[in-house]
Amino acid sequence: MSYVYAVSRLRGMENHFLDASFFARLIDSPTLEDALKSLSETSYSRWLGGADGAFDRAIDEEMIDVCKELSQFVPDQELITIFKMPHDFHNVKVLLKSLFRVRGGDLEGRRHELLSRLGSIPLEELITALESEEYAFLPWNLGDIIKRCWLLWEQAKNPQHVELLLDHHLFASMLKLAESLDVPAVVAWVRNKIDAENLRSLVRLQRMNYTAMDGEPFFHFGGNLRPDDVARLLNEPVETWGNLLSHTDIGSAFEAMGDRSDLRAALSDVSRALDEHLIRVLESSKYATDAPEYILLFLLNKEAEAQALRIALVSVANDLDREFTRRLLSHVR
Amino acid sequence: MDLLGISLALFGAALATALAGIGSAIGIQVAGTSAAGVMTEDPDKFASCLILQALPGTQGIYGLLITFFVLNKLGLLGGGGAVAINWNQGLQIFAACMPVALVGWISAIHQGKTSAASIQMIAKKPEAMGKAIILPAMVETYAVLALLTSILMLMGVQV
Repeated sequence: MSYVYAVSRLRGMENHFLDASFFARLIDSPTLEDALKSLSETSYSRWLGGADGAFDRAIDEEMIDVCKELSQFVPDQELITIFKMPHDFHNVKVLLKSLFRVRGGDLEGRRHELLSRLGSIPLEELITALESEEYAFLPWNLGDIIKRCWLLWEQAKNPQHVELLLDHHLFASMLKLAESLDVPAVVAWVRNKIDAENLRSLVRLQRMNYTAMDGEPFFHFGGNLRPDDVARLLNEPVETWGNLLSHTDIGSAFEAMGDRSDLRAALSDVSRALDEHLIRVLESSKYATDAPEYILLFLLNKEAEAQALRIALVSVANDLDREFTRRLLSHVR
Repeated sequence: MDLLGISLALFGAALATALAGIGSAIGIQVAGTSAAGVMTEDPDKFASCLILQALPGTQGIYGLLITFFVLNKLGLLGGGGAVAINWNQGLQIFAACMPVALVGWISAIHQGKTSAASIQMIAKKPEAMGKAIILPAMVETYAVLALLTSILMLMGVQV
């Protein structure tokens, strides 16, 4: 299959995306039952059924199905793998933390309900590999990293150190895979994704009053911004970050922060602005008939739709303030 | 009979059909691939996709038309026997075939790409079908100019 075919088919599939007017109707639904009735008129209807709370599963199923469909006609499967990699690493984290608890004596410590089925490594195989410590078949040198995670855990018993090691390896592996694809826009997207993650960590660390020296290990290599440069921002007043990052494309995300002193509220705005920036990095492919990066753009847009749907349905289910939800979803096009 | 003259003329006629035909085949393949992608999701767009896919096919027809012109000029159609031409006249006929051969070849490929983009456009905006046809049709202009040039040149060659 060629990219002309793949991109054309995706443009057809995009017609099934949920639009702003649908989300407006969904948010205004008086009850979850009404919201699910609206959802049953969309492509998600195939996965609805059962209890009202099952919408979460329906959203996951739709995402899994879209990935499965794409894998049938996308010429380079690695483009889908690069999208799925964070889910694989999330699963490794969940399984490792479960095993830490179980081996620490908490026999009920397994949290397998937190596993994502969107990863590229089949869940059953991943669980077996980690439980039996047989890592030979795991990709991206994960086996060695998991062994290092166990060493770290035995030394410090700090799950944060383990997560950090896995995150460093995730981004290094994503960058390596992107470079092997030889698609400059995908490499640019991964670099921006690393920057975005570093900037999210920056806001979180600032909230916890970290200094540049304490915070530096939390930042990942491989982005356009050097980790030590990002860490140095921790020593600067938050109001100046926008200016200090103004020479970078991603710095515009900090405009969303303005001069807000409430970092917790600012984090959600910055996080959303960073997500939008990541989609913009790939949007140059919007008008190309055969751009490989369009596959990734489609998946990101579908993921954004799933995220927005989850927010809207949780809001309706819990009868949250509709105006607040509308503001949260103001970016939906 | 000067065989070099007729050989040159026939070589030109063959290239007119061959190069323009190759271009059209590639152009139709690109547009067809795009059409297949769109129709997988929406089979109702078959008619619109077919029109856009067919557009790069005209260059192949122009090439064939020029080949008929040349064969007719050489007296190879109708069984009347070949007209005697010298190498100079053969070279003139060869040159007259080149506009449609070369422009047809290149323009068909690019028209195919433009058609593919237009097919992707109607996948999202079916109401823009008129505009979607105009865009690849602009590429056609240059194939038509090349066809006219080849015809005028052929008419000017005295045999």
